Amino acid sequence: MAVSRRKFLTTTGGLALAAGLPSMPAFAQDRSIRHFWWGNPERDKRTFEVIEIFDKNHPGISVSGETIGWGDYWTKMATQTAGRNMADLVQMDYRFLFEYVRRGALQELDPFIGNGLDLSNFDKGPLQGGMVDGKLYALNIGSNSQVFVYNEAIFEEAGIADTDVINWTWDQFADVCKTITEATDGKVKGSDDCSVVLEVCEVWIRQNGSSFFGPDGDVTVTPDIIADYWQFWHDLREAGVLRSADKSLDANLPMSDVGIVAGDTAISNFWSNQIVGVQALMQDPVGAAMVPHKDGGAPGQFIKPSMFMSLTRDSEDPEAAIMYMNDWINNPEATKVLGLERGIPANPDVRAALAPDFTPAEKVSVDYFNAIQDKVGPLPPPEPKGAGEVRDAFIRAGTDVVLGYTKPQQAAEVFVDDAQAIIDRAR
Amino acid sequence: MKNTKARNASGYMFLTPWLIGFFLLAIGPILVSLYLSFTRYDMVGDPRWTGLDNYIYMFTRDRRFWKTLEVTFHYVVFAVPLRLIMALGVAMLLDKGLRTIGLYRAIFYLPSLLGASIAIAILWRQLFSIDGVVNQVLAVFGIQGVGWITNPQTSIYTLIVLAIWQFGAPMLIFLAGLRGIPKDLYEAADIDGTSRLRKFYAITLPMLAPVVFFNLVLQIIEAFKIFSPAFIISNGTGGPADSLLVYTVYLFNEAFKFFRMGYASALAWVLLVIIGLFTAIAFATSKYWVHYENERD
Amino acid sequence: MNATEAALAETELEAERDEAARVAHEYRLAKNKRERRSRLFKHIFLIIFSFIMLYPLLWLLASSLKPENEIFGSLGLWPSTFNWSNYTEGWEALPVSFTVFYRNSTIVTVLCVLGNLFSCSFAAYAFARLEFTGKRLFFGLMMMTLMIPYHVVLIPQYVMFLKLGWVDTYLPLIVPRFLASDGFFIFLMVQFFRQIPRELDEAAQIDGCSAFKIYWAVILPLSLPALATSAIFSMIWVWEDFLAPLIYLNDIKNYTVPLALRLFIDQEGQSAFGQMFAMSVLSLVPVVIFFVAFQKLIVRGIATSGMK
Repeated sequence: MAVSRRKFLTTTGGLALAAGLPSMPAFAQDRSIRHFWWGNPERDKRTFEVIEIFDKNHPGISVSGETIGWGDYWTKMATQTAGRNMADLVQMDYRFLFEYVRRGALQELDPFIGNGLDLSNFDKGPLQGGMVDGKLYALNIGSNSQVFVYNEAIFEEAGIADTDVINWTWDQFADVCKTITEATDGKVKGSDDCSVVLEVCEVWIRQNGSSFFGPDGDVTVTPDIIADYWQFWHDLREAGVLRSADKSLDANLPMSDVGIVAGDTAISNFWSNQIVGVQALMQDPVGAAMVPHKDGGAPGQFIKPSMFMSLTRDSEDPEAAIMYMNDWINNPEATKVLGLERGIPANPDVRAALAPDFTPAEKVSVDYFNAIQDKVGPLPPPEPKGAGEVRDAFIRAGTDVVLGYTKPQQAAEVFVDDAQAIIDRAR
Repeated sequence: MKNTKARNASGYMFLTPWLIGFFLLAIGPILVSLYLSFTRYDMVGDPRWTGLDNYIYMFTRDRRFWKTLEVTFHYVVFAVPLRLIMALGVAMLLDKGLRTIGLYRAIFYLPSLLGASIAIAILWRQLFSIDGVVNQVLAVFGIQGVGWITNPQTSIYTLIVLAIWQFGAPMLIFLAGLRGIPKDLYEAADIDGTSRLRKFYAITLPMLAPVVFFNLVLQIIEAFKIFSPAFIISNGTGGPADSLLVYTVYLFNEAFKFFRMGYASALAWVLLVIIGLFTAIAFATSKYWVHYENERD
Repeated sequence: MNATEAALAETELEAERDEAARVAHEYRLAKNKRERRSRLFKHIFLIIFSFIMLYPLLWLLASSLKPENEIFGSLGLWPSTFNWSNYTEGWEALPVSFTVFYRNSTIVTVLCVLGNLFSCSFAAYAFARLEFTGKRLFFGLMMMTLMIPYHVVLIPQYVMFLKLGWVDTYLPLIVPRFLASDGFFIFLMVQFFRQIPRELDEAAQIDGCSAFKIYWAVILPLSLPALATSAIFSMIWVWEDFLAPLIYLNDIKNYTVPLALRLFIDQEGQSAFGQMFAMSVLSLVPVVIFFVAFQKLIVRGIATSGMK
């Protein structure tokens, strides 16, 4: 019996060892760094190609690429952070940047500027997006902005193809929604209902001269502005020109379920780096419109980094990591491979080099990006801790309004109180 | 005395792998999570002791905590019995000698194989959308459907339907259990002209009781812990107006979305107590309805 | 008893036997007829029911053959063109070929299933058949491990395996399986083992069999259905397991199939749904084969056990 137990245990151990083996590196290199990003097949392919280029140019350093889809990325990232085992370089999102910086998970990049990291040819605006409290924590590897993507074929059909979608106002937008709904006999509604979309509401708030969070992280927006926003969508909903209420309660819809892709509506809100992805799922050609303006109001939209690369607290070889980061934005071989896939690059030379090879959808997004340059406002101040939860609270409050459980004014008052309470709790 | 020792020796010998696993791999993390439940821990810095704060906040100030309990109980109350009845019914149907039985078994197990994959999430959202297949079928009968998943009144039922439809696992266990009932018992009953219903109550149920008990306990535990289907169908949000915010989805978001691992751990321990309570009740009542073949106690 | 009486008794007995045979025959005829009719109903019912159960798979198959821009927006099941390229291109669409992911998944799954079967049946035998101090306590603790939500032990467990240097190897996935980490299977086997008549153990014990011999020669062979069920479940669950590989595997060359499937989807940007569906269909093939092969054992196990 003892024999069998010993045998059992040794076999177990042996098998386990054997199973562990395939992941051991084939041969040890002097230095190694890890790069972790969220991706898709196209992005993964390009990124691994860049890693190969880097490995070829820097024989002493090996880069291990780690990738997973967006939904799972943050779970894994949080786990690795807790284990103090973050990859040297991680891809960061604007929404999460402040959460990670304020908790001390990322390293400042300023000491490396001009000292391994060459930013001399980098647009200053996009650089600012990665700053927290005056220090650079994240390098912009692509910019984007809010966008209303519209179905060109349906605009044509409704006879409104010549709408000035860059300069239009909310009133014009409402008219367009009505025209489309009538022209298609209600089969295609004018637009998605943005009542639960905080990103669009934020544009509205800025157009009214306010901002959601103040510089010290408190909620500064007044309930009235949010109530007006909800009232605007409420009126359109009553007019029957928006997507049905029960498809308008989720601000995190997969791209495939969004109104314009599902064929329910002619206009949906996105981020501008998503235009190419939207087009891939659709048969009709799409165009890019700005979020409508307030007549005589301030600019609401802003250009923000769509993705960052950050150096983490756990990096053991920051110099190698910075070499890799530098190649990403300055090495023409690498930037050509990366293209526009992660957003518009912040280096004008890189943009110029890429221009001849654009696909139609890429051209739409670059043209859009150029057209909005002087119509956007400054980047809002960094979000405080708890901003992610405020976003969820906004969705819940908006849902109650869409379903008619509460009136816009009342919902807005409750929401603003809740939002401040969430921020206080997170402090 | 010597006898006890010898019995202990062979008992512990067989339990050795489990004991090693429990004491080296399982108990540590469990105790750590208990400790974390008394702290504020954002997973980046170090945990900070806050005593009972998490528990006090949960019971006195957290409105979503009560909401998530309500959603979870709603789910458990419907999903557990319906899934078990479905599984048992189909298992009995499949227990009889049909030649193509293996095929049917595989077919009935298929939905469970698809599990909680992205594919199921997309399919479910399409099926139950306002112009989806479900409403098209209902329209044939003149019933006007709603957007089942996006309507806060109905979304939990799509989750329950999914649970019922994925009855494969308990079905298979029932099948294995039914195979353990000696055939001669039924044959004797047949000769006596016993009715089907009577056979079910007098033979099948008592003989199957240990397996029914297993499935009941496991389904209760799993239903309270339901995560993936609710998470994927609601895109991780807990659905419109928190109508799909089952307990573990809430817990997961508190931990990984809002960096409150301490609070999430406290939530976990409260859930553990709830599940433990229900399991204990099941075990306590089992004395009266579960009898094991030839066991004296 | 004289000869006549004996003969008379014999005839009576024979008559009784004939009567019994006749009744039995009639009964069998009626039963057959009844059974044939109910079988027909059963089949009709089963076929309709099967369609409902099969619908998702048909949908998945159809979606895997549709061009990318047709998957959403159009409700029809039938693709306008059959796009087999999702299969051929999907296999090689990721930086590492699916051949590698299948190899990884196979290694992990085979070892985990073996580990589960051995270690859990060991523990179940102890809980179901042996008496030892602390049995109830340990059983309670085992049930507790079933109840705790996995997400809160994830991080302490990760830190532990990290300290052991096991992250980015398969050890955190496999070793716990050899240490009976999954209480589900222990509890399942306990319930089945307890159904086996104790006389068998006792007889074996009197014959001088050791506890191990009883486990090996009496309990295991009589529990084939339970073991087959456990094998099926652990195969499916390990094959489809996603969270543990997500946390513990870093290098894409070590990814398992479910992890690879997640690489196709990017909620924020471009996804490859068609290829993801095609690979999902293929990922079901090993599971279905395993299921069909092992579910046969659920029948045979009992047929040969013939409890007396």
